[in-house]
Amino acid sequence: MKSRRVVVAALAAAASLLFTACSSGGDSGDSGGGGPVTLKFQSLSDQPAAIAATSKIVDDWNKAHPGIKVEVVPAGWDGVYDKLVTQFNAGSAPDIIHYEAAGVAPFAKDGYLADLTPYLSEQKKADIPKGVLDSVTVDGKVIAYPTELQSYVVFANKTLLAKAGVTIPSGDTMTWDQLRDIAKATTRDGAYGLGWGLSSPTAAMVALAPGFGGKYFDGTGTDAKINVGQGEMALPQLVDAMAHQDNSILPVTLTQSGAKALAPFYAGQTAMTIQGSFQAANIAKDAPAGFDWVVLPTLAGPAGPAQAANPQTLSVSKDSKHVKEATEFLEYFTSTENLAALNEADTLIPATTSARQALTTKLGAQNGWKQILSSGQYLTSAPYLFVDKYAQWKDTVATPAYQKFLAKQLDAAGLSKALTDGWNSINR
Amino acid sequence: MRALLRPAQYLALAAYILFLGFPLLWLISASVKSSGELNSLSVNLLPRQWQWDNYADALDRQGLVHSAGNSLVVALVSTALVILIALPASYVLARLKGRIRAAGVGWILTSQVFPVVLVILPLFLILRTLGLADSLAGLTLVHTTYTLPFALWMLQGYVTAIPVDLEEAGAMDGAGRWTVLRRIVFPLLAPGIVATAMFSFVSSWNEFFFALVLLQSPENYTLPITLNMFIGGEGKVALGPLAAGAVLAAIPSIVFFTILRRRLTSGLMAGAVKG
Repeated sequence: MKSRRVVVAALAAAASLLFTACSSGGDSGDSGGGGPVTLKFQSLSDQPAAIAATSKIVDDWNKAHPGIKVEVVPAGWDGVYDKLVTQFNAGSAPDIIHYEAAGVAPFAKDGYLADLTPYLSEQKKADIPKGVLDSVTVDGKVIAYPTELQSYVVFANKTLLAKAGVTIPSGDTMTWDQLRDIAKATTRDGAYGLGWGLSSPTAAMVALAPGFGGKYFDGTGTDAKINVGQGEMALPQLVDAMAHQDNSILPVTLTQSGAKALAPFYAGQTAMTIQGSFQAANIAKDAPAGFDWVVLPTLAGPAGPAQAANPQTLSVSKDSKHVKEATEFLEYFTSTENLAALNEADTLIPATTSARQALTTKLGAQNGWKQILSSGQYLTSAPYLFVDKYAQWKDTVATPAYQKFLAKQLDAAGLSKALTDGWNSINR
Repeated sequence: MRALLRPAQYLALAAYILFLGFPLLWLISASVKSSGELNSLSVNLLPRQWQWDNYADALDRQGLVHSAGNSLVVALVSTALVILIALPASYVLARLKGRIRAAGVGWILTSQVFPVVLVILPLFLILRTLGLADSLAGLTLVHTTYTLPFALWMLQGYVTAIPVDLEEAGAMDGAGRWTVLRRIVFPLLAPGIVATAMFSFVSSWNEFFFALVLLQSPENYTLPITLNMFIGGEGKVALGPLAAGAVLAAIPSIVFFTILRRRLTSGLMAGAVKG
């Protein structure tokens, strides 16, 4: 899939030169004779509640702004990168583009996205945590409004913890050592302490590395250099120790997706599971009746509880004839009330502090929400977002290397070498 | 020993049919399971609790029926176009000898080696220039073009299998070129036409990538695009509604196959008698 993306990107670059004459600018609606401006908003909202929340925001906007009409164009997450490559190169990109920071950063680098810096209000800027704002800032320009975030959190089966005599940690954060101790204590009576779906381990490894001082990459674009040192190796080695020394991780989950690792959690085969925070909604819905669960405090490493943020974003095509109007809509879309409603529907973490606080006030008493929303404050910029060949490295080098390491086919030195040599080979 | 042979054959056949049908059975089963059951460790074909809401959910979401209609139109029209073009072309290809045939065959095989991802951008720009991007007509043309080489290849194999002697015998009996084709070749070719039509229909019905890139307006979305929207970001998948949608999506294909299967059988018999 990713190698296909590389092919598309290369072809797109060549074809854009050949076909410039054919292109006739964006498809953004033009007011023409002074009628209303029409903005196309390609939305990836997929859950029924989130689709409804998005529609309501757009409907409210359209009622209040007869001169600027927003039309939602639904699209799916799968294949959206290929679709955007074609749309940008053919000059037919929608005015407003919903995607994720890691996805839009390369488009911004290639000059397809409008610089939103002059339009981003100071109030909004102050409302977005610095680490999150950094994740949508490319070459000093804000290229998207962040909307929704997820963090990695620990879901725990309270009954199994109580049986093992474990006191549930209090406070905002807990250390990885505490997690390891709890996992050891709850590995008993045929159950394992932890289930962690690591079939695609790279995303989790790079997202959680900042807690150990890991960055993986220095520099941006093609100049980026990889550094796999102690901070980067700490988490894989911890997982290895838990899985193969403590035997406190259910082995099969290491080869499963995150969602698959929920089934043994429901069945009481694992006392805890590390998942994307959005799984809270699925657990509330799918767990068997009487299943008593809790979200543990945010995990913190030696460098703190930081996690890399890859927010969902809304950006504006540079070809849009109505960048200013589109940004006005984005200011409205990301208002405290709207972001809170959208994130509640999607069970994600709002990208603005005010919306996160509003959601904490509304839902903080509900199971898990307080800890999940609290974890949002520790999200920080991810260096890998701005590295051109990250996607290729992730798929062709890092994921197989981590998988081999977790399967004991590579030792720590071998993993470090594979990650480094693989990057140097790709980024020649 | 011989008495046991027949029951053993039936048993093997039943096992084979079950093996082939199991994915469909599992899909149907998943389409009526609750989200909790789908995400549990239990492996049971029959749901503990029948969840028909998945079908209502699938139909409620994103205009599934409308996009199925779009898929049906595109698949039927592109199938008809493919057959219309491939039938005479395959006959010529099969009966011709020499360099032109070799060049034709070479071109067909070459056209199959291009990955779709390489042709999508030029195709998009051409269709846009023609005013056919983001239209079902444009997608139909693309499906026709993309399916045609393989259909041609497939059909020319069937033509080659018809002995030229039969045509010559017809000509000896005084039949003209057109009569030979209509009375001898086409009836013998019926199974091949049906098989090619089935292939073309399924190719178009299931096609995802061209539709994903070429279609921009939700009212033009085909079924695979709509079903794709059941799979969300961050690993979120509405498994029950997706399975229900997939079951509904399979129905037109099954109906189409059922209709054509009869023709396939009668065509085979016609070929047997005349051959």
